[in-house]
Amino acid sequence: MSLIKLTGGRVIDPANGVNDQVRDIYVRDGRIVAGPNEHEKITAEYNIAGRIVMSGAIDMHSHIGGGKVNIAREMLPEDHRGDPLERTELTRSSCGHAAPGTLAAGYRYAEMGYTAAFEPAILPINARQAHMEMGDTPILDTGGYAMLGSDDFFLRMMAAKEDQKAINDYVAWTLNATQTVGIKIVNPGGISAFKFNQRKLDLDEQNAYYGITPREIVKVLSRAVHDLGVPKPLHVHASNLGVPGNVDTTLGTMDAAEGLPIHLTHIQFHSYGTEGDRKFSSAAARIAEAINQKKNVTADVGQILFGQTVTASGDNMVQYRNADHGSPKKSVIMDIECDAGCGVVPFKYKDQNFVNALQWAIGLEIFLMVDDPWRVFLTTDHPNGAPFTTYPHLIKLLMDRSFRNAMLDTINPDARAMSNLAGLDREYSLYEIAIMTRAAPAKLIGLADRGHLAPGAAADIVVYKEDADRERMFEKPELVFKDGELVVRDGRIVKVVRGNTHAVKPEFDRSIEKKIEPYFQRYHSVRMNNFKISDDELCECGGGSKLIAHACKKRG
Amino acid sequence: MTNEATSTVVTEVACPLCGHACDDLSVDTAGSGLTVVANGCDRARDGFARLGGVPTNASARIDGKPASLEEACAEAARILAGAQQPVFGGMALDLNGARGAMELVDLAGGIVEHINNEFGWRASRAVQDGGGINTTLAEVKNRADLIVLLGTDAVSRQPRFFERVVWVKESMFDFDTTSRHIVYMGAGLNTAPGVSPDGRQPDVFEFDKKRMPEALSVLNALLAKQPVAGEAPLGIALARWQALADALLAAKYSVLVWTASAFDTPQVDMNVGAIAAIARKLNVTTRCNALPLAGNDGDSTMGAVHLWQTGFPMRTSYASGTPKFDPLQNGLSRLVANGETDALVWLSSLNDTVAPPSTGLPTVVIAPPTQKLDAEPHVFIPVATPGMHLTGHFVRTDKVVSLPLRALKKSSLPAAEQVTAAIVAKMKEVGA
Repeated sequence: MSLIKLTGGRVIDPANGVNDQVRDIYVRDGRIVAGPNEHEKITAEYNIAGRIVMSGAIDMHSHIGGGKVNIAREMLPEDHRGDPLERTELTRSSCGHAAPGTLAAGYRYAEMGYTAAFEPAILPINARQAHMEMGDTPILDTGGYAMLGSDDFFLRMMAAKEDQKAINDYVAWTLNATQTVGIKIVNPGGISAFKFNQRKLDLDEQNAYYGITPREIVKVLSRAVHDLGVPKPLHVHASNLGVPGNVDTTLGTMDAAEGLPIHLTHIQFHSYGTEGDRKFSSAAARIAEAINQKKNVTADVGQILFGQTVTASGDNMVQYRNADHGSPKKSVIMDIECDAGCGVVPFKYKDQNFVNALQWAIGLEIFLMVDDPWRVFLTTDHPNGAPFTTYPHLIKLLMDRSFRNAMLDTINPDARAMSNLAGLDREYSLYEIAIMTRAAPAKLIGLADRGHLAPGAAADIVVYKEDADRERMFEKPELVFKDGELVVRDGRIVKVVRGNTHAVKPEFDRSIEKKIEPYFQRYHSVRMNNFKISDDELCECGGGSKLIAHACKKRG
Repeated sequence: MTNEATSTVVTEVACPLCGHACDDLSVDTAGSGLTVVANGCDRARDGFARLGGVPTNASARIDGKPASLEEACAEAARILAGAQQPVFGGMALDLNGARGAMELVDLAGGIVEHINNEFGWRASRAVQDGGGINTTLAEVKNRADLIVLLGTDAVSRQPRFFERVVWVKESMFDFDTTSRHIVYMGAGLNTAPGVSPDGRQPDVFEFDKKRMPEALSVLNALLAKQPVAGEAPLGIALARWQALADALLAAKYSVLVWTASAFDTPQVDMNVGAIAAIARKLNVTTRCNALPLAGNDGDSTMGAVHLWQTGFPMRTSYASGTPKFDPLQNGLSRLVANGETDALVWLSSLNDTVAPPSTGLPTVVIAPPTQKLDAEPHVFIPVATPGMHLTGHFVRTDKVVSLPLRALKKSSLPAAEQVTAAIVAKMKEVGA
């Protein structure tokens, strides 16, 4: 038994309504507790008077594991050479930047005060590898969202007009078989359409073979996720990513959920109009207004920041189209296993490029115009908009108006003229940053014991030295505890621990396997029983990570 | 999963003996070895029989003399602690074997070179130079209407390719799989599996494989509507080349199958780049994808783990404490020939047929008791095999699908990762 006391910190814990109150925090065996038991001795005390205390940050959308990330790593030795990570007595060597090694990713997330990250695009057939990679990502809790919507089993069910209950069983089966915590759709039905040589798929356009539209897919899957009681709303990468004028598609996608919870991911890439001489404009105001009005909608931004990165997406249709814009010019595009696809294109966002500069402004406009920080999430869609290591810089852009405007003055002047960013006075508070990086993602994903600091919570705790330069403050916390263990001191790893794997286990009618098993035998290249990942196997893939299974309360 | 409680036959077993990783084998565990009784190939039958045995007298050895596991690990640790830049060869490992190896390599400041990486790194370089448009087995099985095999017959390395992917009973998309158009390019290929179930012969473009770059150039030129010199490039009538180009343009989903080991080694990256160029041209109007065949001897597994942990492919030196990726300098043969390595560790739990090279260097071999050896190494540590004696995980040819490996028979031998962990612990103990 050990009892740790953090004494005198200024606690910011939005999940419990605590805003900058001086409180002591006690940790016993990895959990936050109210205080010592009678005669219990404090084994370690940290005097953190004047320091800001928050729970560990949670990245709810970051491409940290799976085949496409490994392709990105393979493609970019030139990027990695610039950011090597030296072996120390505690940590292994690796490399960072756009597509870091898993070891570097784990260390660097932890050094920034992040204690969990969720891979948002796990192809079911690639789930085992995604868990292996996340298992080799030290310190962080991990989990992922399984991709459906372009898989042939689902599309065949839709084409056969199977009822919602059958769809729900398949969705629940997928979540169980892949050990994931949510469902993602990428370009609904579009990945399949590309395999039939369609090059675009609008919201109400039919897949050439199945005759199913993206709108129908969003409707059915948002219903399934809701009915099954999966906490995390359907995670949607909408149709027409990056296309000028896609704002209408994005608004239509919100409506396709028919009032059920829906999460629009990297919405910056889906908030474009066609105004102006170059037929490319910000539609952030319309998007923000829609989010403000529609309480069923949440979104993460997918902010872009200038510099070299790599885009890795399940959306092979769009990535194929964008391959010629790659920098350096190379790309890998894949069709995958009648399940999904992927596309990897290195990209360099330039502040003097009109489109890139406006993309930068659009992301910030959305952050600043969405009123409710519980429904907008801080992401760069790592690494697609920028590597996750830019988060402290992004936080400064949100919290410091003069810094933001100084940056705005340096970008492409035509883009600056097209943006209303200079007129947005809002500055995020520490409390709001704590909401969007801790409390809200934990609530969204359904992580009851993460993202807050009340007794019973897991002791994922970050202590910052307050600094008017918010970038400096957030890039190097003084102390980071993971499940009660001190893992980072003064921004350096002092102990390497293994995080947990989060998954949901919705109930379903097991007879669905009577349909799935023969389907695998007839059409697939593996057997159903070798596709499914058992709890024991998950922990083995995860290198010994503990499985935290979250229950679902059926609503259907 | 057994058919019934009393049966000794295990079904739906995944096979780690080639990159295809068929997962429909039935294996009988009765008797002294493992017997594939359904759905195998010769490679699987031989491999399970040979590697799946449980020798009772396998012991670690130091300089040929029996030693305890602990003594052997201590001796290996001593060798590695004294080495400036050890090289790790073999590397036919499953997931946890590869994970364990990486920890040791980093600590020892070594370099990893899988037995297939002599040509494999060149395929990786083609990805770094230009990328590609690729597909996977189930897509080929359901969609491919034209399959061009470039320099490979597929079955020499992955024997059940045609059985499991090409001449399947049905496709999801309502077309007659027997109508698939099969084309071979190269010489000395086993083209018999390419004959359709109704007896249709495949097209064969026969030429010396060293001329593959020319062949790919002809196709690229025709697809770009550029002139091609001569009436019969590579001795094959131009009209046949044109017919193939037209067939590729007309196909709805053509597939270009290649494997790095089948190309002339110095030409691998050039050929892979030319194949990607063909796919890019065709995708302007239709769908065409390459299908690289890899994964044999766990090369996809080792390559993937190396890549995700450190961000770099194999042939990265950890000697300085930070990773230094240099595929031209860090090949095993070159390091040995130039005296740039001072110890050899041969780690292999999935392949016992390739002997470690004779280098004159202090050598540690961690491999199955049946490992082929040309000379007795300084340290030999026998290990069990994943998928036979141990559970494990294996990344398949397409680097997308990975299969769970089963423990079918108990062995008293340790797993490779247990051995490497013991060496790591010993090195840290001595270093502390």
